Amino acid sequence: MKTLILSIVAAIGFALIPIWIQSPYALHIFISLFIAVALGESWNVLGGFAGQYSVGHAAWYGLGAYGAFILLDSKGVAPWYGVWVAVLGSVIIALIVGSITFRLRGPYFVLASIAVAEIIRLAALNWKTLTNGAEGIQPADLPPLKIGKQVLIADWNGKEPYYYMGLAMALFCIVVNYAVKRSKLGYYLQAIREDQDAAHSLGIPLTKYKNYGLLISAALTALAGSFAAFYIGFIEPQQVFGIDVSVDMVLVALIGGIGTVSGPLVGGIVLVLLNEGLRAAFEQGHLLVRGVLMILVILAMPEGVVGFVSQRLRRRAATS
Amino acid sequence: MALLMQAILSGVLIGGVYALVGVGLTIIFGVMRVINFAQGELVMAGMYVTFWLFTLWGIDPFLSVLLTMPALFLIGVVLQWSLINRVLNALPQNQILLTIGIGLVLSNLAMLAFTSDYRILSTSYSSSSVGLAGIRLSTPLIYCFLITVAITAALYWFLARTDMGHAIRATAQDREAAQLMGVSVRTISIFAFALGSALAGAAGALVAPTYYIYPQVGGAFTLKAFVVVVLGGMGSIIGAMLGGVLIGIGESVSAVYLGSGIKDLCVYVIFLLVLLLKPSGLLGKSRA
Repeated sequence: MKTLILSIVAAIGFALIPIWIQSPYALHIFISLFIAVALGESWNVLGGFAGQYSVGHAAWYGLGAYGAFILLDSKGVAPWYGVWVAVLGSVIIALIVGSITFRLRGPYFVLASIAVAEIIRLAALNWKTLTNGAEGIQPADLPPLKIGKQVLIADWNGKEPYYYMGLAMALFCIVVNYAVKRSKLGYYLQAIREDQDAAHSLGIPLTKYKNYGLLISAALTALAGSFAAFYIGFIEPQQVFGIDVSVDMVLVALIGGIGTVSGPLVGGIVLVLLNEGLRAAFEQGHLLVRGVLMILVILAMPEGVVGFVSQRLRRRAATS
Repeated sequence: MALLMQAILSGVLIGGVYALVGVGLTIIFGVMRVINFAQGELVMAGMYVTFWLFTLWGIDPFLSVLLTMPALFLIGVVLQWSLINRVLNALPQNQILLTIGIGLVLSNLAMLAFTSDYRILSTSYSSSSVGLAGIRLSTPLIYCFLITVAITAALYWFLARTDMGHAIRATAQDREAAQLMGVSVRTISIFAFALGSALAGAAGALVAPTYYIYPQVGGAFTLKAFVVVVLGGMGSIIGAMLGGVLIGIGESVSAVYLGSGIKDLCVYVIFLLVLLLKPSGLLGKSRA
């Protein structure tokens, strides 16, 4: 109950921020944070709860981005309709891929997930009539968003519309994580993570439930991917399907704490702040820090910041 | 027909290098059950060492294998001793993430030190080729292949005939039993990772005259090395050699008949098919 009230207060606080902070740079950092958190939470559903460490989630990120962009650019479908079509398309492809690759375990699954993302990246690079190849897509200006006759958002050049949509998306991803963790599906997935064979012998159909996890995870990832693409305004295959995208998603969850709801939130904050702070200080060096951070977290606190802190608190409670 | 022969022969030549990277990966996996996602970045490090040896002191890239291998061996010792040893009993996922982190650090260090410019190492014989019965093969690739064969033969002798080689194979077969027989598994692990790095370094030196050299070049080698190793069977050294040559041929034949944009796509599709249909690989026995 206390956490719920605290979360609602925090969410309202975030919603009020643009009223007294108008600096585009500050808003940009918040939007990057929302995207990072949404992606980390999306990955967490499959990677955290089900223990299926995909290093190929860039596939769903990129399919969401490409789907919505192509619909807008060549068919003139407005993003707020196109995004859902793109999400649906990504999920269908994800389920086909999932029913094949979920037979694999451990390192083999990781390798297969990377290979799938690479196959889709190479397909996007070579299918030039659909994707415009390596030159990428930069769609025309977005049409105004209307409900009935009333224009809701006419100007898409400011950061505020993206701020509120990003916030809503990140909150949605957190709520979904919370709901999944408490649901029957969540318990099934966590049982699969702890011991696949035991879960199987208890009557949990492995591939089916992993696919349910992937369905949610891929849908959220595709949503966040298409949002990020519209925010940036340009996509090309390496940028959306590259392994960096997948690694970043894992990193957000890893830093915060894999398999916890608050982990990706904490991880997103740490990663985005570090990224921005170090970009100002070292220019190119901030990319190096991602790798160093990854190594340090694995060696020093494999349970992430959340796991580390809660362990410390428990220890303190035990000694006092 | 000549075209097909040409494609197959070039494929065999470049496949030798893939085999070298793959053998390094498979030795590390065999001894420690760790999949090294930084293998390609070690190839990249070998390429840069070779590039600078050539640019600063004019050392021929194929001669510099003698220096690149020890240099990468040392890097391997440091990486294993300081980082990988600490996660040997951790979850496989964490091991994978650790080596991905090491790869990120290596490629970004290279970018900070040498910028992300594409560099070319051009020797006097870089663009020359040898003709044989209507088939032309590039001279640097032929040298590259001959040295690959020599290194592979030396490695085979080392693993089959020396005490250290026996200890490595014993540890790969059964870590605990090897330990009970008095093998220092810790030392063997350090040696195996360093050996794998040295092989990656050798591959880097050998392809330096024919590839663009840039900080992100490693990723492609890492993925290809996985394909090679999975195709041959995880942990099988002969399998990795066979896998390397097969992937080299597959790549070069599909580049000729389907276009070079499609060739990598073919490699990954083959990879997925092998993972699904015969996950133990062509010569492998066990699934880890």
